[in-house]
Amino acid sequence: MSPSTAHAVDAPAPGASAPATGGRRHGRSPIAPAPATPWLFLAPFLALFGTFVLLPAGLGVWISLHDWDYTFVSHPFVGLRNYLDLLDPSSTSGGPFWESMRATGVFTASSVPLLLVVPLLVALMMNARFPGRNFLRAVYFAPYVLGVAVISVLWRYLLDTNIGPVNHYLGLVGLPDATAWLTSQPAAWVSLVAVTVWWTLGFNAVIYLAALQDIPAELYEAAQVDGASVAQRFWNVTLPGLRPVLMFVTVNTIIMSANMFGQSYLMTEGGPGRSTRTAIMRIADTGLSSFQMGSAAAMSYVLTLVLMLLSGVVFWLFRDRDAVRTRANVRTREKVRS
Amino acid sequence: MTKHLSRRGAARTLTGTAVVALGALALSACSSGGAAQREAAEFSATYDGPAVTLSYWNGFTGGDGPFMQGLVDRFNEEHDNITVESNTVEWAEFYQKLPAAVTAGEGPDVGVMHVEQLSSNAARGVIDPVDPLLDGLGLTADDFTSAIWDAIEHDGARYGVPLDVHSLAMYYNTEHFEDAGIAEAPTDAESFAEALDALQEAGYEHPFWMPARWPGHLMFLSGQWQGGGEPYAADGSAATFDSPEGVASLEWMRSVVDDGYSPGDVAQDAQYVAFKNGETSITFDGIWQINDLEESGLPYAAAPVPAVLGEPAVWASSHQFFLPHQQSPDADKVAAAQVFIAWMSEHSGDWAQAGMIPARESVRTSGVLDGTVQEPIAEAIDTMRFLPPVPGLGTIQSETLEVAVADGVLGVRSPEAALSEESGRATSLMEENLARFGG
Amino acid sequence: MTSIQDAATPPVAGPGGAADDTLRPARRRALRYLALYLLALVFVSPLLYMLVTSFKTRAEAAGTTPSWIPDPFTLQAYGHLLAAPDTPVLTWFANSLIAAGLNAALVVATASLAAYPLARMEFRGKRVVFGLVIAMLMVPGVILVIPNYLIVSELGWLNSLTAIIVPTAASAFGVFFMRQFFVNLPGELEEAALLDGANRFQVFVQVVVPLARPAMATLALLAFLTNWNDFLWPVYVLFSPETRTLPAGLATLQGANQVRYDVLMAGAVIASVPVMLLFSFLQRFIIEGVSRSGLKG
Repeated sequence: MSPSTAHAVDAPAPGASAPATGGRRHGRSPIAPAPATPWLFLAPFLALFGTFVLLPAGLGVWISLHDWDYTFVSHPFVGLRNYLDLLDPSSTSGGPFWESMRATGVFTASSVPLLLVVPLLVALMMNARFPGRNFLRAVYFAPYVLGVAVISVLWRYLLDTNIGPVNHYLGLVGLPDATAWLTSQPAAWVSLVAVTVWWTLGFNAVIYLAALQDIPAELYEAAQVDGASVAQRFWNVTLPGLRPVLMFVTVNTIIMSANMFGQSYLMTEGGPGRSTRTAIMRIADTGLSSFQMGSAAAMSYVLTLVLMLLSGVVFWLFRDRDAVRTRANVRTREKVRS
Repeated sequence: MTKHLSRRGAARTLTGTAVVALGALALSACSSGGAAQREAAEFSATYDGPAVTLSYWNGFTGGDGPFMQGLVDRFNEEHDNITVESNTVEWAEFYQKLPAAVTAGEGPDVGVMHVEQLSSNAARGVIDPVDPLLDGLGLTADDFTSAIWDAIEHDGARYGVPLDVHSLAMYYNTEHFEDAGIAEAPTDAESFAEALDALQEAGYEHPFWMPARWPGHLMFLSGQWQGGGEPYAADGSAATFDSPEGVASLEWMRSVVDDGYSPGDVAQDAQYVAFKNGETSITFDGIWQINDLEESGLPYAAAPVPAVLGEPAVWASSHQFFLPHQQSPDADKVAAAQVFIAWMSEHSGDWAQAGMIPARESVRTSGVLDGTVQEPIAEAIDTMRFLPPVPGLGTIQSETLEVAVADGVLGVRSPEAALSEESGRATSLMEENLARFGG
Repeated sequence: MTSIQDAATPPVAGPGGAADDTLRPARRRALRYLALYLLALVFVSPLLYMLVTSFKTRAEAAGTTPSWIPDPFTLQAYGHLLAAPDTPVLTWFANSLIAAGLNAALVVATASLAAYPLARMEFRGKRVVFGLVIAMLMVPGVILVIPNYLIVSELGWLNSLTAIIVPTAASAFGVFFMRQFFVNLPGELEEAALLDGANRFQVFVQVVVPLARPAMATLALLAFLTNWNDFLWPVYVLFSPETRTLPAGLATLQGANQVRYDVLMAGAVIASVPVMLLFSFLQRFIIEGVSRSGLKG
């Protein structure tokens, strides 16, 4: 039996009367640890976390308040100027930054829905027993193992306007065969989104698949006994069963898409023009190529703020829908029992 | 009670880490980097110290790469106690990494960069002056064209030892030209247009692929100079590449596509690959491609870029040896690096085999160019134009002018709109840089 | 569409209740799987083309008509790649392996240790620590890039593999992941060990770690893949050819003035084959590990 089934969680812990833990939940030890013990466990992680996550998260604010050129001796304090410049679209940093934010937005808005739906379709197809299933599952996951550098170098070749196989085969089936996939719009976005979906769909598919396999077969049987159609079973059993991972997959996919860098950097070099130069590219360029770290740090906070707001919206949406789905789920179960 | 102490102890360790890191950063604000005037290293003609290994950074990723490596190998053979190790990366990456690496104390011992990048790196304190080295080598203004000699100066000191001059050239497929009955390489607007028509009539549908990116912006600059315009104010205060001459230059580039001589949307490098495959008849590219073309076995020839937009003028640049600033200089390495630069400068005649034109006049006129592909181009050295030595201009150009040219060629924006918008942006950036680098 | 929704019903539940399901001939099912295979073939064909092209001549790789069988079959792209002093692919490969391996080990060790008290002990400050971990899980890594560059520069780690190994080892995800696993682990064994007089570290090492091996292996694999694939950070913090990782190296291979697709594809293949092998042996493990420890909120 899987250790994560509901029964294990609900069971009262033996020795739950120990005062130190209150015994509210299973799994808590009845013996209170020495106060130093948890911190000793935490120390190695906290040292890393403090130095490379908490410290930089705060240090970034400090940097963003300065005209911080990495190669210069002095870093004059400029207050909020970096932020004000960003908010002024006519400034030298504001205009291109929002242009790159728009590019990130276009990419995220077009890739996230696909990356939520296509891997689900793949996972549903794979969630059956047939010869070579594990091999096929590996095939769909394979591109993700390769990393952005390999797949970008590969697709830049495949999508080459003049010598790329993609245009050649499109021509063979009678479609336009001279599309400049990486140097014209909207073809460049189509390319970047399609390549990204091809590359990462295996990741989400594996998570979906794991969740699908956790859905108890009895629920499907019960739904069938109840006379639920295929579509009803999908909506009332499969989707609620995926609920635990759906929010994670959504937020994670949004953040991954919003962090897109390598594909643009290697395939389109931000072009044509600056159209596929994403916010991350802009930040890296500003901070690590032009060494304007103050401005770059300010940009990264603005981008982070936007992403946090977006994640908040997703949480809110899911919280709402969770309740609805859980109710639907309960209804199914009740129907089954009656 | 001990438990209380140790919990506080853990918290203190954590805060301690943060404080140390912060303190280090605060200290660094005083110690590392900087645009301060650098001390030039003393010149030494020979090196007889202990064996040293020099890290040598350059961006010779093209057909010139193997020749540079050949020269380095020869130098290594002739010097028992000096080993030079090359690190060759794409130029764009080179210019991004060099300042970061030098500031971090992870820079090379010697390197080569383009003349128009010297002032930026001098202003950032990334490279040191080389006046004693130039004096020691006996190199003066007389050895170079005045355009080069002026371009290596920043704030009263000189920062580069010129190796070569290289410009755009016109490459053409000699078989295609024969088929089309073109006897001589076109030199002006009229003969160029006639050649394109003749090539199309001979069955070459797209005789002149127009690149949107590299080297499109170099073609644009050449065109603007031919028309008598200047892309930037010489004092670095403004961008002027949207002048009527600039607009005319970009409009001509776009017209090559509109008139059907080139496919639209040529992907990066595709025009060059197509030329090598015999798919297109003419391409403009750097003379550093000569060896790559020689190797390909293509029937081709090179000629100066035709003056399609006015008087003969062509974009050119120059490779310059430089000495990176060292946070903690190793006297042996600094001396050995100078021996290396001196040797390379003296052997710059051999560098001509890489398709380059030696910068030193004495070398250039010594006969090393006789019979080479680039000989006719070297003869036009007086028509070669360099970008002004303005700190930070390289970055600005790639963010503005290159984008405008790409958009104009691809038809995303009209040439005039693209140039005026990007030129305005470039001017603001240049003004910021003037303040940053202190004029 | 129908067939896909069908698939939502796992076959363990037996043939579907609807009449057409029960009567569906085996032939139709076979056709469906054949279609799946064909789809997978199309899906993976770009990778095959990469492999094929790496055995072509320079000219054939740059030709306008795609060919699936190299003519002539040649290893010259690999020869060119391995001989070029500026592109030490084998060094990059070793660097990637070392960096990803050490990073994965560091992530698993620190995250497991940190997750255990968060799952099993009551102590003051626990909510603050866990809250910070969760908060940082939500924060996109981009805000850390610029300041971490300065911190790494101060530590003298620029242009060294340490910069690739250590900073990204502070894995909030790892802590979250391991904590979820520990929370769902039955506590009886640990309690028994504690009552027998073992201290917390002994319990962790002797009781918990053996039980947590699948989750730790999964985390190690995920960390390894993430580090192996990391692109932006290595591109900016590594300067010299001998310190580069494979992704950063591949980016420099894609030179501006001289595109050799045969060589590029050979480089991509060298970067791919080992991880593909690793993956083909461990992919079942990843999936089973994820489903056991669960990413359930």
